[in-house]
Amino acid sequence: MEATARTKTEALAPCNSVVDGNFEEVPRETVIKFKPPLYRQRYQFVKNLVEQHEPKKVADLGCGDTSLLRLLKVNPCIEFLVGVDINEDKLRWRGDTLAPLMGDYLKPRDLNLTITLYHGSVVERDSRLLGFDLITCIELIEHLDSGDLARFPEVVFGYLSPSMIVISTPNSEFNPLFPSVTLRDSDHKFEWTRMEFQTWALYVANRYDYSVEFTGVGEPPAGAENVGYCTQIGIFRKNGGKAMESCVSEQHDQHVYKAVFTTSYPSLQQERFFKLVLVNEVSQQVESLRVSHLPRQKKQDGEWDDTPKDSQASSPCFGPVFTEVEKAKIENSPKPFCVGDKFFVPLQRLLAYPKLNRLCANEEMMRSGIADSIPLSSDGSAVVADLRDYSDEQF
Amino acid sequence: MSGRARARARGIAHSSFRATEVGRTQDSSLPTSVDLSNSEATSSSGFMGTSRISTNHKYGISSCDAGSTFMERGVKNKQDFMDLDISTREKLAHVRDCKTGSSGIPVKLVTNLFNLDFPQDWQLYQYHVTYLPDLASRRLRIALLYSHSKLSDKAKAFDGAMLFLSQKLEEKVTELSSETQRGETVKMTITLKRELPSSSPICIQVFNIIFRKILKKLSMYQIGRNFYNPSEPMEIPQHKLSLWPGFAISVSYFESKLLFGADVSYKVLRNETVLEFMTALCHRTGLSCFTQTCEKQLIGLIVLTRYNNRTYRIDDIDWSVRPTHTFQKRDGTEITYVDYYKQQYDIIISDLNQPILVSLLKKKRNDDSGAWLAHLIPELCFLTGLTEQATSDFQLMKAVAEKTRLTPLGRQQRLARLVDNLQRNTNARFELETWGLHFGSQISLTGRVVPSEKILMQDHICQPVSAADWSKDIRTCKSLSAQSLNTWLILCSDRTEYVANSFLNCLRKVGDSMGFNVDYPKIIKVQENPAAFVRAVQHHVDPDVQLVMCILPSNQKTYYDSIKKYLTLDCPVPSQCVLARTLNKQGMMMSIATKIAMQMTCKLGGELWAVEIPLKSLMVVGIDVCKDALSKDVMVVGCVASVNPGITRWFSRCILQRTTTDVADCLKVFMTGALNKWYKYNHDLPARIIVYRAGVGDGQLKTLIEYEVPQLLISVAESSSNASLRLSVIVVRKKCMPRFFTEMNRTVQNPPLGTIVDSEATRHKWYDFYLISQVAGRGTVSPTYYNVIYDDNSLKPDHMQRLTFKLCHLYYNWPGLISVPAPCQYAHKLTFLVAQSIHKEPSLELANFLFYL
Repeated sequence: MEATARTKTEALAPCNSVVDGNFEEVPRETVIKFKPPLYRQRYQFVKNLVEQHEPKKVADLGCGDTSLLRLLKVNPCIEFLVGVDINEDKLRWRGDTLAPLMGDYLKPRDLNLTITLYHGSVVERDSRLLGFDLITCIELIEHLDSGDLARFPEVVFGYLSPSMIVISTPNSEFNPLFPSVTLRDSDHKFEWTRMEFQTWALYVANRYDYSVEFTGVGEPPAGAENVGYCTQIGIFRKNGGKAMESCVSEQHDQHVYKAVFTTSYPSLQQERFFKLVLVNEVSQQVESLRVSHLPRQKKQDGEWDDTPKDSQASSPCFGPVFTEVEKAKIENSPKPFCVGDKFFVPLQRLLAYPKLNRLCANEEMMRSGIADSIPLSSDGSAVVADLRDYSDEQF
Repeated sequence: MSGRARARARGIAHSSFRATEVGRTQDSSLPTSVDLSNSEATSSSGFMGTSRISTNHKYGISSCDAGSTFMERGVKNKQDFMDLDISTREKLAHVRDCKTGSSGIPVKLVTNLFNLDFPQDWQLYQYHVTYLPDLASRRLRIALLYSHSKLSDKAKAFDGAMLFLSQKLEEKVTELSSETQRGETVKMTITLKRELPSSSPICIQVFNIIFRKILKKLSMYQIGRNFYNPSEPMEIPQHKLSLWPGFAISVSYFESKLLFGADVSYKVLRNETVLEFMTALCHRTGLSCFTQTCEKQLIGLIVLTRYNNRTYRIDDIDWSVRPTHTFQKRDGTEITYVDYYKQQYDIIISDLNQPILVSLLKKKRNDDSGAWLAHLIPELCFLTGLTEQATSDFQLMKAVAEKTRLTPLGRQQRLARLVDNLQRNTNARFELETWGLHFGSQISLTGRVVPSEKILMQDHICQPVSAADWSKDIRTCKSLSAQSLNTWLILCSDRTEYVANSFLNCLRKVGDSMGFNVDYPKIIKVQENPAAFVRAVQHHVDPDVQLVMCILPSNQKTYYDSIKKYLTLDCPVPSQCVLARTLNKQGMMMSIATKIAMQMTCKLGGELWAVEIPLKSLMVVGIDVCKDALSKDVMVVGCVASVNPGITRWFSRCILQRTTTDVADCLKVFMTGALNKWYKYNHDLPARIIVYRAGVGDGQLKTLIEYEVPQLLISVAESSSNASLRLSVIVVRKKCMPRFFTEMNRTVQNPPLGTIVDSEATRHKWYDFYLISQVAGRGTVSPTYYNVIYDDNSLKPDHMQRLTFKLCHLYYNWPGLISVPAPCQYAHKLTFLVAQSIHKEPSLELANFLFYL
């Protein structure tokens, strides 16, 4: 899905959500319907931006029911995700849906992730939001009254001063395409034309040493291209990148927001989960090597019922697919071997497999990771297993 | 392998008391099962997928969807509350005032129950909320109410219509207005419906909701009704399992007050994706029969997709589709699976050759578009639950048991930590305080240890050193009665002939000291395949054969099933199966032979021992139910009745019925048969009947009382001309929340055998008690819970309790106490054999023998 998804003009079915406006009392006539819905297009826009720039710390101001945060939390690069809103009950109510799920424990992320929701106003300064890579204000500024709007740049650009800021707001030039709309939401204090928004944005960017680029989501229908995107977006980048970092530490801690919810995700950076994943991967690899070792063994004993394996093409064949380089690496590593009824897999061999290589840099790291859970040879250079397992009979 | 051993090998799910399998190694730990019975490892919740045994707790698939709100979960408890609301005690005049016994030595016990303190006048206010205009979305209704300032600082629970507050609103009807995101003004009318005292069922439900909310605040992960701590997993890498420690919690009204109960529970999770499973399987089976085996193994399993935490049932595998193929999204656009998962979840699919799993989704309401198919990528699906193969894997179950076993002290420490967390966590405390609640002290109570029983043998009365196991005490004693075994067969293979002979010598020797005369059998050698065994049985069994013994070369289920099927249906002859491996165990031959000799004695209609039964002319009955393993909509109902005053001989019937309820529909047929049998042997009808009913699920109590008890009464009335025949019905449950420990030298221990609890932890509306009749050497013992729902016999509570204890001594497959009365265990063994192996009603010719041992 691209940020510039198409719009379609459709007859109004019993439609309740067109944009964020309320049209239910409106006479049934042709209206604009976005596909995917406009709010989704806005979120997708942010998501694409995150994928492109890989920020570590991201905050969403005016996060509402935390939908955007839920979309962003799957991104592997983010380590801190913060949501701020003035509606505490809403944060509480939906907050625990941000907690890690069972799958997050079974397959932990690579990097830590902490998600925190704060109850507070975007025009108040809280030092915990300093030093962020990206702050998003999606459909936020139009809810600020003139006083708050005046304070907003000072706090977000001047004080928080993240590397990148994304601000989206309705484009009022688009409104005539909607039937009889003045403001799209009764809580909107204003809706700006492109000129108004851009003037404000350029002024703010100049003042706080940011550069700004304008775009939007929600393309106008054919014939009305001149009105521009339904939602206009400004992307602000700080000039000189992260030069402000030094100032951060000099700031005094200022905690005005109330932390409503916080959760941290299991990750491979945590020893417990690293070991868990490593031990599982190692046992799986050893088991698969052991099982593939068995038939050959049986054949030598003359017991193995040698069924023709010609159906290779039609039968499924899967398991990890290796590149030529990976294959060569595995081939060149020490081979598994048997001593009596014991089966040995050298750790060096295991390290040759990409999945395990990704987890462990060297043999020592692997050894210390698995030593508590998996039997090792006396010199600690190989994993030991019984060649024949009681479960082999079951098939 | 004995039938008992088989039951155990297939997973201890329902037979969670002392293992008596032939040839168990000395340390194969009886308590294993005791502890396990209370952990999730063997509970057959839907999520675990081991649903083949009738289960009390069905955690629906939706329960792992972390998205649903707390009120929905509350509803799941309704069944429990339904049971608790039924008052049976008030109809029983003799216990209306006092249901406690008196005999035995008082013992001080600590429980896993805690006081909940709140002000004397505490009340819950139930409001009804209506919206104008009406809002269909429950989420929106909740959002609007929650965001209203009028209610913002109040403790509240709301499900979209019903609102509960601990503080009364000023007005009976409160009108609020709120604005949706779209600017619509919505009027909310909050009307007071009821004021509820803390003991009312609805109130208790709300308490449970509150505590679930609180445990979530302790960063615990909710699955079903339990809470787990995923940050402290325990690993069993060789079986690709993780265990999450956690708690089952509940708030409930006990004898005199509201108590919070918590018990340690474990969630078993599998660290294996479907793809990994398939790859391993492919390695093992080879390609030729891979697809077939794979489908057989996977179809029907529940998988968890890690990206959205949903569970799906695998209904099919589409081998022709690859992740690189495209599918049509709901909006009509085409996209490859690879791209879809990358875009939607930032997941890169690494194996592009894997097939696609197909799951049939349930139809949504108001959706006529037909069933939805979900396509799932094996790599992204985790297996859930333990397959039948896994639960029958003795090594695996042992590994799980070893990890989950907790001593009473360990258990007590876990509890203490939970309580400490509850009291120290500011969020949790805040939530409690806003509701006006305070977490109180751990409950201690006084139980009684009833006197131990003497075991009556043929010419000897023995007072066992330990009631847990009197095998040593009776080694030299003769059984009460034993038929001699003259005409019988041993089936074995060439390889096992040698072991068969040495076993036979042993058997004759031990049989001799037991008073069980064993003649030489006809030894028949057969090839090592199930069909050959059955053919040999068909060929050699004639009407004179008393017993067929089969020495099985492997524990392949087909051997056991096909032999048992033939010898219980087509040609009813008692049979004894034993694994060759078991007989090969060094130094174990004598004890194995003793066990088998005892089983054979019973299967031929003999009696091993007795206890003194003070009531003359008492018939005890055991009833258990269980789902058939092959066709899940068939219920197997097993009934066993004693047919002599000494309670040493049994009549049994097993009836299969096609119904969705657990309730035995066929009790009349059975009761009539049992009473006829009694009459035949005793030339009179019994004066009293006591029925022990096991296998009762949550929410079934009402049906039991309204349907089963009358059915029993009618069949009793029809059979006897004099109306003096008196009936009692007792529900037996091995799973219950309370645990009891004795405190000794600043540590806690399992209570002694014969401990009875009939106060405080019991229910006010019921005539109930707890009895500890089994040992848990290294684990924590779980008491068995008895609820007398009908009682014409009007025995004193003391007598009822002690009679129940006596009956726990009479299970002939184990020379010691067991966790339930013998008739229950016999009924369980019978249903298990039929449900797992036979799938039909066993021949009535076997009804007078304990052929199912």
